[in-house]
Amino acid sequence: MSDPAIATEALLREPWDGLKLPEEQALSYQRTGATFGIWIFIASEVLFFGALFLFYTAVRAEHAEAFAAAARETNIVYGTVNTALLLTSGLTAAAASRASEHAALIRLTRWCLVATALLGLAFLVVKGLEYREDIAEHLVPGPGFKLPEASAQLFFGFYWLSTAIHGIHLMIGIGLVARLIVIGWRHPERIPGNPQVEVTLLYWGFVDMVWLFLYPALYLAGRSG
Amino acid sequence: MSAPVSAGAVWRRVLPVWLGLMALLALSCAAAYAPLGPWNVAVSFGIAATQALLVALLFMRLDSASALIRLTAACGLFWSAILFSLSLADVLSRLTRT
Repeated sequence: MSDPAIATEALLREPWDGLKLPEEQALSYQRTGATFGIWIFIASEVLFFGALFLFYTAVRAEHAEAFAAAARETNIVYGTVNTALLLTSGLTAAAASRASEHAALIRLTRWCLVATALLGLAFLVVKGLEYREDIAEHLVPGPGFKLPEASAQLFFGFYWLSTAIHGIHLMIGIGLVARLIVIGWRHPERIPGNPQVEVTLLYWGFVDMVWLFLYPALYLAGRSG
Repeated sequence: MSAPVSAGAVWRRVLPVWLGLMALLALSCAAAYAPLGPWNVAVSFGIAATQALLVALLFMRLDSASALIRLTAACGLFWSAILFSLSLADVLSRLTRT
């Protein structure tokens, strides 16, 4: 981080006095620590979602026909629109992360953060509409379920569990991005070069990646049959 | 970190990636309707993996990350691979017997 306009002293988190490092170097250490930390968290989240996808793989291998029939009941329009929304939010998140390295690009950083949060909210709205349709069509596992095959309920068990957990992750992401927007609005000098921007947007990228695998698992299976 | 300083330079780095991701999304949606038999699963998850790789390398910038960060990211995949191969070794061997 060589941009001299970055307010190093405003970004440093205490206590760093004990190491007697120059401010610039201390902030660079903090940045490395923050990035390393979020990647450890992401790697553990990969295992968390990995277990969910393992359930999906094992049950689908056993009940291929019922899974294909159940997956045809999901609404591919909502699913595809939501994938496009999340990929676009990934674009604005990546742009915000890169722009935040330069104090001159504070306006771009702010607008990209706002766009990221709004695209995340749009995703949740579409998901809500889809949930309403799913409930109306009796796609909730339990008595009165739409499909006759018992294992089709396993598919929708995975559908509700995985999309709800992904939705919670996304809500946390929107909250974290909203926090950066508030910080940038109250203290504009605290955004350029702030490691928190990169950390937040790395988390956003991960939530994006989870959806990229949920999309073929939930919406694309059984379409050609 | 001297490269992009103008807004245009930032967009030039990320917009082509986004276009690629959207093209892959269209391809994956269209391919799901093609009668490819067992290949449908491979194609749709293969495209998802390609998209995830693009996001990880170019949006989350693993392409320019330090070795420690790359190793950390790879750890998630490494342990997932163990989780999947050991569990599926059991599940799939039971499937072929019945």
